[in-house]
Amino acid sequence: MEYKNGILHVRNLYKKFEGVEVLKNINFDLNEKEVLVILGPSGAGKSTLIRCINRLEEPSSGEIIFNGEKIDKKTDYNKLREKIGMVFQKFNLFLHLTALQNITLPLKIVKRKSEEEANKIAIEYLTKVGLKDRANHYPIQLSGGEQQRVAIARALSLSPQIMLFDEPTSSIDIELIKDVLDVMKNLAKEGMTMIVVSHEMGFAKEVGDRIIFMDKGEIVEENEPEEFFKNPKTDRAKQFLSKIINI
Amino acid sequence: MGFDFNISLFIESIPYLINGAKYTILFSIISILFGIVIGLFASLMKISKNPIFKIIGNTYIEVIRGTPLLLHIMIAYYGLAAFNIKLDYFTAGVLALSINSGAYCGEIFRAGIESIEKGQMEAARSVGMSYGQAMRFIIIPQAIKRVIPPLTNEFVAMLKDSSLLSIIAVPELLRNARQLMGTKANVWSPFLGAALIYLVLTLPLTRVASALERRFSKGGV
Repeated sequence: MEYKNGILHVRNLYKKFEGVEVLKNINFDLNEKEVLVILGPSGAGKSTLIRCINRLEEPSSGEIIFNGEKIDKKTDYNKLREKIGMVFQKFNLFLHLTALQNITLPLKIVKRKSEEEANKIAIEYLTKVGLKDRANHYPIQLSGGEQQRVAIARALSLSPQIMLFDEPTSSIDIELIKDVLDVMKNLAKEGMTMIVVSHEMGFAKEVGDRIIFMDKGEIVEENEPEEFFKNPKTDRAKQFLSKIINI
Repeated sequence: MGFDFNISLFIESIPYLINGAKYTILFSIISILFGIVIGLFASLMKISKNPIFKIIGNTYIEVIRGTPLLLHIMIAYYGLAAFNIKLDYFTAGVLALSINSGAYCGEIFRAGIESIEKGQMEAARSVGMSYGQAMRFIIIPQAIKRVIPPLTNEFVAMLKDSSLLSIIAVPELLRNARQLMGTKANVWSPFLGAALIYLVLTLPLTRVASALERRFSKGGV
């Protein structure tokens, strides 16, 4: 098969919202253990693109091949989503559950773990993101940075093959962003396959293996991070980078 | 005749009125419980993506809310009897009140469910939960607290509106008051007695509601 090397392949992907094309002919591949960073101005279609991957959005046409298998109507989306973790801009922790329960509930329902096993796994991942002591706090009692780290732990606890990050630091107070980025950096170091939609240029440069730059629903440029920031190939990327201060 | 209030007649009528109030309470509690169950299904149908469920849920809610409860009571009692389904006043009363309150509870639940932030459902789906699991474990538990105040209003309305059951001779509070008016030839004593008892029933309910709200509140939601 032509797709045996990469873990994820996107081919000719289009997405229309009420007649408006928000994704146009998207093509890219993702290899195992790779960190792909998607950059671009707001409204470029970055979030829509990664939401198509775990089928929170249904693409209008095109193909996504995951683990060598095409995702289509016959795919069990619930099983697919167990294997593709997602972290949201607004954290989306379950507000009526504690940090610990946010992790144990999916483990119990989706992975059919016992209470005891689920607790053990949850503590393990909370420790990993440095929040073991917040296990019994409700989301409202946690800072944005802490909520996001719990959300990352929740996604990781299901042992996904790919992690999708949808602007994970955009809703977080500036002084707390570093803690979240550190967790993500460690994850990358451990070899997690990641797609990160972000405005964190520092992270893209330091951790990213590859950059995809999007504008107006299209992939405008695909490049190595070093090259992308030093010598962007396209004018649109140059323009975008010139507007960003903290590189 | 004028204002014919008579304190001794008033006191005398209270036990008989309380007897009626027992029916008022019984009908209201049974019917709101059925109404909650019916309403939950109606709301889930109404917000479902399945067009057939959607139409059923919508039609039920709109038809019931657009027609008077008195008519529902008459249909349950006289209308069904015309098809030889002869229900006693108890069954007919509970049926009419339950179906009526089911529609109002349905709208309450729909509003409660739709008030939960969209990200909660997305997060639940993103960790591999099915739509049903997400509803059951994430959305509905958070919606419960929000529907308690309007459900309390619905129950208060039910306590008062069950007086319409007097039309099919259910011996509830207001019917007993009317009977006393006839037998005692006095208007104001039994009716003020009935008013007092309705207030005793309805006023504490707001307190019960806030206690329930606290009970179901978790994580400030």
